Amino acid sequence: MAALSIENVKKSYGSTQVLKGINIDIEKGEFLVLIGPSGCGKSTMMNSIAGLESITEGRILIGGEDVTHANPKDRDIAMVFQSYALYPNMTVRGNISFGLEVRKMPKPEREKQVQKVAQLLQIEHLLERKPAQLSGGQRQRVAMGRALAREPKIYLFDEPLSNLDAKLRVEMRAEIKKLHQRLGTTIVYVTHDQVEAMTLADRIAVMRDGLLQQLASPQEIYDRPANTFVAGFMGSPPMNFIDVTIDSSDSLTINAGQQQYQLPLPQGYDLSNYVGKSVILGIRPEMITEPVQHKAGLPEVAVLKLKTLLTEAMGADTMVLTQLGDKELNCRINPSHSVEINQHSEFMFDMSKAVFFDAQTEVLI
Amino acid sequence: MKQSYNLNINADATKNLSLLDSVKNKANRYLQQRSILQHLLRIVLYVILLTMAFIYLAPLLVMVMNSLKDVEEIRNGSLLALPQDPSLAAWSKAWGSACTGSTCEGIAPFFINSFKIVLPAVAISTILGALNGYVLSMWRFKGSDLFFGLLLFGCFIPFQVVLIPMAMTLGWLGLASSASGLILVHVIYGMAFTTLFFRNYYVGLPRELVSAAKIDGAGFFLIFWRIILPLSPPIIVVTVIWQFTQIWNDFLFGVVFSGADNLPVTVALNNLVNTSFGGKEYNVDMAAALLAALPTIVVYVFAGKYFVRGLSAGAVKGA
Amino acid sequence: MANQRRFTDMLADSMPKLVLAPSFLIVMVCIYGYILWTVALSFTKSRMLPQWKFVGFDQYDKLLNNDRWAVSSENLVVFGGLFIIICLVIGIGMAILLDQKIRQEGLLRTIYLYPMAISFIVTGTAWKWLLNPSMGIEKIVREWGFEDFTFDWLVNSEMVVFCLVIAAVWQSSGFVMALFLAGLRGVDSEMIKAAQLDGASMPTIYRRIILPSLKPVFFSAFVILSHIAIKSFDLVTALTGGGPGYSSDLPANFMYAHAFTRSQMGLGAASGVMMLGGVLAILIPYLYSELRGKKQ
Repeated sequence: MAALSIENVKKSYGSTQVLKGINIDIEKGEFLVLIGPSGCGKSTMMNSIAGLESITEGRILIGGEDVTHANPKDRDIAMVFQSYALYPNMTVRGNISFGLEVRKMPKPEREKQVQKVAQLLQIEHLLERKPAQLSGGQRQRVAMGRALAREPKIYLFDEPLSNLDAKLRVEMRAEIKKLHQRLGTTIVYVTHDQVEAMTLADRIAVMRDGLLQQLASPQEIYDRPANTFVAGFMGSPPMNFIDVTIDSSDSLTINAGQQQYQLPLPQGYDLSNYVGKSVILGIRPEMITEPVQHKAGLPEVAVLKLKTLLTEAMGADTMVLTQLGDKELNCRINPSHSVEINQHSEFMFDMSKAVFFDAQTEVLI
Repeated sequence: MKQSYNLNINADATKNLSLLDSVKNKANRYLQQRSILQHLLRIVLYVILLTMAFIYLAPLLVMVMNSLKDVEEIRNGSLLALPQDPSLAAWSKAWGSACTGSTCEGIAPFFINSFKIVLPAVAISTILGALNGYVLSMWRFKGSDLFFGLLLFGCFIPFQVVLIPMAMTLGWLGLASSASGLILVHVIYGMAFTTLFFRNYYVGLPRELVSAAKIDGAGFFLIFWRIILPLSPPIIVVTVIWQFTQIWNDFLFGVVFSGADNLPVTVALNNLVNTSFGGKEYNVDMAAALLAALPTIVVYVFAGKYFVRGLSAGAVKGA
Repeated sequence: MANQRRFTDMLADSMPKLVLAPSFLIVMVCIYGYILWTVALSFTKSRMLPQWKFVGFDQYDKLLNNDRWAVSSENLVVFGGLFIIICLVIGIGMAILLDQKIRQEGLLRTIYLYPMAISFIVTGTAWKWLLNPSMGIEKIVREWGFEDFTFDWLVNSEMVVFCLVIAAVWQSSGFVMALFLAGLRGVDSEMIKAAQLDGASMPTIYRRIILPSLKPVFFSAFVILSHIAIKSFDLVTALTGGGPGYSSDLPANFMYAHAFTRSQMGLGAASGVMMLGGVLAILIPYLYSELRGKKQ
């Protein structure tokens, strides 16, 4: 039995449809990340799960129980908000125990629970402070403490790290991951940050315009994106898209203006139905590098001469923007290798992880 | 003026390019002149501001001074002269024994009437405003914005267009000429403003607070009581002060809806000033006027910040 | 539990509406209902008591041919116009002067604004003495040696309306000052710095940059002042009693006199409706531009 089932959920405001039939099943103990650009419906989806917004069609089940029309308080969920939404007039202790108090938990038990949570999150020394006296990271912890105290069936996180600075965000991300592994809780986590999604999720649900684009493990999403949208959205810099024609079962031609470039096809990729047709090739920047010795001569590798437009040293590696006909390609090279701007240099294309999309539907082949 | 100096310097400078010193001298002189000019301007500025302050204060000072004189001194002397033999006789007469129309008990009973009307009216309209504002900001539903618009309009109507039906309704309810009737009227027509105040304040609070409390299991009133109300003191102060001043200073509703036993102090003051048995007792009139103004002035002096905030909150549109 | 809703849940869900319901009822009845009621009355020949005998536009006819109404509406135009303009000029002027890093600004602000806390009845009573020729300003100036000085507007039916303007400006201009001062303080200081670097002088900066950015403040000040002007009833009662004769009557006084003391309910209702019309004429363009502004 799924911990949370979202069945064909639709939601519209007047004539605008925000959710257009979403289906997701979440297992107990699973960490699911909802990701998508702003306006894709992820926050509405989250609020619908919480019961803060009602849905127009479909069902939501928590632990097998239909809660489609239940009030938030009857759903056995807890939520961590982007703005934390700590009650400003209450102390940290009050914030954490409010939900327990409302649910009529006796005082001694409440105290014990607060202590337990505070210990877990290392905020025991803050219990008597007001939210205004806390730093951003401490508020974040208290917000999580408030959710943890009730030990609900499902935790909802609504972009909980987006108000923290970069360093703290990385720290808290690790903390959330550890908590999840330790407590084995079921979590639905909304974010627009793909690094968070990749690092935290057991499974990622990519949404766009109220539709689920892909629901899969992070690696699957990265390696085999369901369509060009997912491919472009996950990964930074994004995947390169190149219009190509499939020549035969083992090679393709890049359609890039006057010049003709040939590349091998990845082995085991069945493109037999597309021979002679145009498709979109998707290749990640890290698969276009400087020529490296140990790959040279492999059947899935080819070397092309490309003009360098721009280089960006990132430290661990260098991003190079190159020109291929009328297209620009992102490549990732070793910083010890140098390329001249506006000169043609050799780049090695490793096609083993290349993917192909239908030219019309933009869906993965 | 500044600009013309600038031009002069530029003209001179081009003429005497070689004579840098001369230019420097001129520049220095210009700076000196400018600072003298600025000093002068500064003095003029203060003179204007102090004169204005005097004009605003004068009526109050004249009233205070003359309320301390006796009638003879007012009639023969200058309005601006200091009282030769200050006495509080006029004040005690205004408070306890001056005639206001048919009775001669001073304005004390009406002062108390005003409090009897103002306190419940302020309390009820503030509570209503807080609850309405809470719903209209945190629990919006289809049509609640429309209702807010309809209510907002109530801030602007001239009350003359509702006076007659209100008078008739109070008559039917058996509340004509009663204090409760007057309280009711003040609550009804003050509600638009109090709701506006609270709603605009609550709109500024994060709505997630309510979401979080809902998920924590709290209901409508518990959220209001435990989360929202503890955050409301600033707007409560503003609203209470606004309502207190409005209702205390009201004359129209007082004169139309109150009966002889519950006239508010503004109406009584007007009666007192217009009652003349024998000679006009200006000193008593002035003392009575000051007494009638005292509560709101005290509020203003001690809570002026909130008073101004209320005024501008009432001023700003409904968004 | 499935799809079944418990009664308490339904009650909880409709709580916001229940709480709002009494206010909704009050607004619909005591504002909109009463307005319609007054409109209906204005079409009847009601005198001391309502009589539901409809006479069409007779009361409006009577109103427009009534000299006292003509005087009072003319007074409103003169009084309202001058009151608004002078308050705006003084208010803006003083706000700018006070914005020059003045010492004791708080004290001065308090002094300028305190009249706003006072009832119009008290204001009217105070100015009645000051403007009274035999006691007030005229007498004082004559005592200073200007024997021929006359300042008898209060008893001069041609000039008495200006007395209303003086007292009302004294009471309300400080408020306009406070509004504009708040507005000035809200102007982006970087914008002013940029203009200074562009070489603009302070007067130019005020005229070309700061004041234009205060357009919303002008608007609210205008709406509030016109609202005060149309509602002015207590000031007239206390300062002039409408006199000499009815030369300083305003529509609000006309309405009160006819509806409540002269048993001309129909006529009083008609004049109330006309006042509402006046407010709407000012309010609707304001709300319209507000709403349009919000959409953009």
